[in-house]
Amino acid sequence: MTIACDEHHSSLSGVTGKATIRPRLKLLVLIVSLTVLPFAASNARADSGNGVDTSLGNALNPAGTSSAKEKDPNGLGIQEFSRNPSGFLVTRPNLPTVPVKNESGWLTSGSIEIGGLTVSGDRREAKFREYKDLRNDGYINNLDAQMENPESAYFVDAFGGAVGRQDQYYGFSFGRYNDWKVKSFYKEIGHVFTSNYRSLWNGVGTDNLTLNGVRPGGTTNAATTDINIGNAALATPYSTLSILRKKGGVRADMKILENWNVFASVTSEQREGTRPFGLVSGAGGGTGGVETPESIDYRTVDLLAGLQYSDTLNSVNLTLSSSLFRNNINTLTIENPLFITPPAGATTTNGIALFPRAVFDLYPNNDYYNVKGEYARALPSFYRGNLTALVSASRSRQNDNLIPSTPYAGAVVNGVAGGNWDTTSSLSKPSAGAKIDSTLADFSLTLKPASGFDLKGKIRYYETRNGLEYLACNPLTGQWGRLINDGSGSAIINTSAYLVPGARCNIAATAAIGVVPSGGNVDIRSIPYDHKQLNYTLSAEYRLGKAASLSAAYEREEIDRAYRERSDTNEDRIKLGYVSRGLDKGTLRISLETDRRRGSTYVSDPYGDFYSVALGPLPTATGIAANPWIRTNDLHRKYDVADRDQNILNARFNYMLAPSLDLGTSLQAKDIKYPDSAYGRNDHQRLDSASMDLNWQPSATLSLYSNYSYQAGKMQQAGLQPNACVIGTTYNFLSDGSVQTGALSPAQIAAGLSIVASRTVLGSNFQSLCGSVSPTSPLYPTSRTWDISHRDRNHFISVGGNYNFAKARLDVNYTFSNASTAIKYGYNAAALGITPAQVALIGDGFPDLTFRKNTLESNLVVPFSNKVSLRLLYRYEIGRIRDWHYDGVAQNPTPNTNQATFLDSGPQNYKASAVGIFLTLAL
Amino acid sequence: MSTLKPFAVLRFVCVLGLLAPSQAILAEESTYVGEQTCVACHGQENRHFSNTLHSKVFRLNPKNEREKKVCEACHGPGSEHAKNPKDKSLLIGFTKGWGTPIDTQNGQCMACHKGGSQLHWPGSIHADSKLGCADCHNPMEKNSVSGLLAKSTINDTCQTCHQQQRAEFNKRSHMPLPEGKMSCVDCHNPHGSATRPLLKADSTNAVCYACHAEKRGPFLWEHAPVRENCTTCHAVHGSNHDKLLVAARPYLCQQCHNLSVGHSGQFFRADQTAAAGQLAGGASSQRVPGRACQNCHSQIHGSNHPAGARFQR
Repeated sequence: MTIACDEHHSSLSGVTGKATIRPRLKLLVLIVSLTVLPFAASNARADSGNGVDTSLGNALNPAGTSSAKEKDPNGLGIQEFSRNPSGFLVTRPNLPTVPVKNESGWLTSGSIEIGGLTVSGDRREAKFREYKDLRNDGYINNLDAQMENPESAYFVDAFGGAVGRQDQYYGFSFGRYNDWKVKSFYKEIGHVFTSNYRSLWNGVGTDNLTLNGVRPGGTTNAATTDINIGNAALATPYSTLSILRKKGGVRADMKILENWNVFASVTSEQREGTRPFGLVSGAGGGTGGVETPESIDYRTVDLLAGLQYSDTLNSVNLTLSSSLFRNNINTLTIENPLFITPPAGATTTNGIALFPRAVFDLYPNNDYYNVKGEYARALPSFYRGNLTALVSASRSRQNDNLIPSTPYAGAVVNGVAGGNWDTTSSLSKPSAGAKIDSTLADFSLTLKPASGFDLKGKIRYYETRNGLEYLACNPLTGQWGRLINDGSGSAIINTSAYLVPGARCNIAATAAIGVVPSGGNVDIRSIPYDHKQLNYTLSAEYRLGKAASLSAAYEREEIDRAYRERSDTNEDRIKLGYVSRGLDKGTLRISLETDRRRGSTYVSDPYGDFYSVALGPLPTATGIAANPWIRTNDLHRKYDVADRDQNILNARFNYMLAPSLDLGTSLQAKDIKYPDSAYGRNDHQRLDSASMDLNWQPSATLSLYSNYSYQAGKMQQAGLQPNACVIGTTYNFLSDGSVQTGALSPAQIAAGLSIVASRTVLGSNFQSLCGSVSPTSPLYPTSRTWDISHRDRNHFISVGGNYNFAKARLDVNYTFSNASTAIKYGYNAAALGITPAQVALIGDGFPDLTFRKNTLESNLVVPFSNKVSLRLLYRYEIGRIRDWHYDGVAQNPTPNTNQATFLDSGPQNYKASAVGIFLTLAL
Repeated sequence: MSTLKPFAVLRFVCVLGLLAPSQAILAEESTYVGEQTCVACHGQENRHFSNTLHSKVFRLNPKNEREKKVCEACHGPGSEHAKNPKDKSLLIGFTKGWGTPIDTQNGQCMACHKGGSQLHWPGSIHADSKLGCADCHNPMEKNSVSGLLAKSTINDTCQTCHQQQRAEFNKRSHMPLPEGKMSCVDCHNPHGSATRPLLKADSTNAVCYACHAEKRGPFLWEHAPVRENCTTCHAVHGSNHDKLLVAARPYLCQQCHNLSVGHSGQFFRADQTAAAGQLAGGASSQRVPGRACQNCHSQIHGSNHPAGARFQR
């Protein structure tokens, strides 16, 4: 057996690239593939519990088959306006397929829709073709075929669409009903990121990007280079950055005994293309970044096997899965157009004269394995209970070979020779050796202790264990820190006292030397984040009448995190719910939830063990900038671990306005408050949504629908632009909020300014004075606070319907999305040193981010006979987008003099239409 | 939520509950009559049912006595119903109007479909919300390629109730659900799971890695919120911002980062766009245009480069 497509088969054979699927893996895939068929299993139902790939279709055929089928004038049966249990109108059925019986007794049916498409307008714009592939050409829109033998119960089923396009899809299955089944698929998903990218490089999509027309390493100086890059970019035509996912797979299911099912599947995905990326050089981003393309060449193989048992009392699932990711481009070399200006008085940077290329270590290969066991047991004699248990264990491994910090030989950092920074001998370990294990255990018990009264208890435990240990230390020299951005910058401790053999790359021994490091914020160790999460829930439900129920639930979530600002958080959730299915003409579901998250003391900087602050005592000497030892704003709260009060109202109500007319409404009101967050995401966050659907199906010849949703959101945040904290310096706090180290100038005096406070930073007080936000903190003075409000407004409308004119059928769908996000801010211009000219440009916020899209799709189907019909398709799209991130980029890709280069002009407005003519032939 | 009055709501729902009409109770004395008797009256239903997988299973290769009952496998024995078709208490129905209690309806389905992907159905949010299997599935017609769904796609079926998500999937950045390339069931198991949002994997991140395996790592240098929960930064159902982000960059990053060194605490503003940078008084920042922070911190999901602690290589 092979994978569903030749392409995947060949890719599994190992073709180009550095990281290929290893022989052992190929053997594993082959074994699974070969074993799938004979043992595979089918209860013949879709698996909603495992895997992805549950949808095969595309924009023109979201259901996978033709979307222009004829409705059955006789409906579904006796009940004309049938409604599902919640009260929604049952969709009027399409005409049922009538298969043809051939001489050998097989029933066959099928259809093909073939014709041509013509697309006009801005058809190349990224937003138009983001996930679809509409082009001028002949086109097989969709096809399907079914065969079954009533005698043997064997069947064959196939369908597909968009043949040859980058959104094509195919499904093929065969087997014996209620016995076994083999199902395979192949699909492609394109994703266009931008169609307005100016590439300065050749070799886009490969592991080596070479500059085309711009000199690697820059020319003469930064200013000249900046101009050269800008001119080259302006002369470069736009191109597209996109990826294409090609995925195929096969799954087999078999019923092996009365109550046993087994299944196994293998899928393989090849993802190739390019996407926007970024390159920065210099120390800490000292030079501008350049938007580069990232080359993508991934292959992921997923294996899955399961065993399921179920009888009247017991159900058991055992599932084994693995996912093996391989990046065929381990490292990406990009010729660097930037000029790196050496430090004053030097001709090289870290001993390197020129930086003509940059080397990225792209996503590493990784392996993932999971074993999961699930058990459920009905307990009819124990309060009619039901017990469910799940235990799952996963393992992630990543052990890629590491690459050197720089591709350039001869790097000398802080005058220390012998670092060999261009070799892996300069690293503390040769390969990543990264691993994370995770465990999930979940148990729930549902009881019915009294008539109309249910009780449920649930406990869930999940943990991850991160086993990574990496020291950022050069074992050849003993230097702590990182030679960054290919050596064009460094974050390396320049403390010669540490460079003794006994202390080399040993944190405790280095700290024992007792010398203050040259900085407090240099990374010296990776941080192995992991967490443990415990949830327990108790809920009760009481029936009010025979079709309504009232429920209450309490849940507590406790999370212990390693190396985060809070070692533990706990959240209490109380939820009340009400369901009434008993209303004559509708169903109401409503819930109200209130959550309260708190936790241990918030430590704004818990990462001391991982930074150079751990290498020695705190600084005391006059003239030392102490802010690297402070590291962060102590009143800033990261919102994922901050105190949070949350209230959520959810309501859904559907009502039968008339026998043929439905109203469906839903409402969500979410209010989130961060009561302890002065900085970061703070104040109230709101997200409110209201929706209304109308569905009218008066007859088999006419149906109409409309949907409207409104969503409004609000989010607040605050930040503080740090000032300075130099030991031995006196900071004066002025009446306008500004902070300065000198006395008032005559102009300031003339302007009426005064000094309201003065503070002198000393070695003995810098932590208390600078380390906390206050009106008189030299580093974090409250006057330098800025705040941002985000306000979202979204409208979504869709209307449509279909009408059967007897000799033709018309189907029309229209959707309209209108979204805007307003970002406004508040700030103290004087405190932040912002000039009046800047204030005029800054205003009170950015222009609104807006996105507006209209899509009209209509189909006119003219049947010529039972077997042949003509379909005319018309699709019209208008997209309007405004995003200030891209304002001015097209006109000036190098808007600053620091070589910052923006090559993606961003999403553009578009207007495009597609016209299709198809002949639909029933087989 | 301060404007809500919980006790008023409670009174309202209790009143609604008391107004609920009684439901049908299936007659116990019914016996099986065979599908021919059913089809005699329900020919049109049978035309559609014959196209369904249930029909194939029951008619072409039944494995047990229940499956051999075909119509009555789901609707229960029909003799009393045949005598008195108007009495809704005599047969199990799967429509609003028929009035069969939802537990009875679902019990019929679970008689064959318990376990497997439905193992966590008891106690799941959909079960607690009193959804009927027939709310999402219509075993009487082949409306979808697979799954006997109530609508032609999984997404349309889910969005009948989850209208908010339908609107979100039409925002500027979204996963390709409207384009038919994904479905809600790629991430969620509507039949129940061990996670609160009915996720198909052990954690949110494990769900995301199913399609974004490259981000699984683990990496030499990890980003704390990335490791714990993708949804800290991404609004998975759709966003007005690029890349499904929950807020615009650089402000999203600044909701967590306000360091004493460098630029994470800087006040970024409208005079720093590429356009404003060309105006008198303006100065384009490399952290505002384009991908903002990710112009430089391009490996934000984690870096395996020895110098990648700040996600720049």
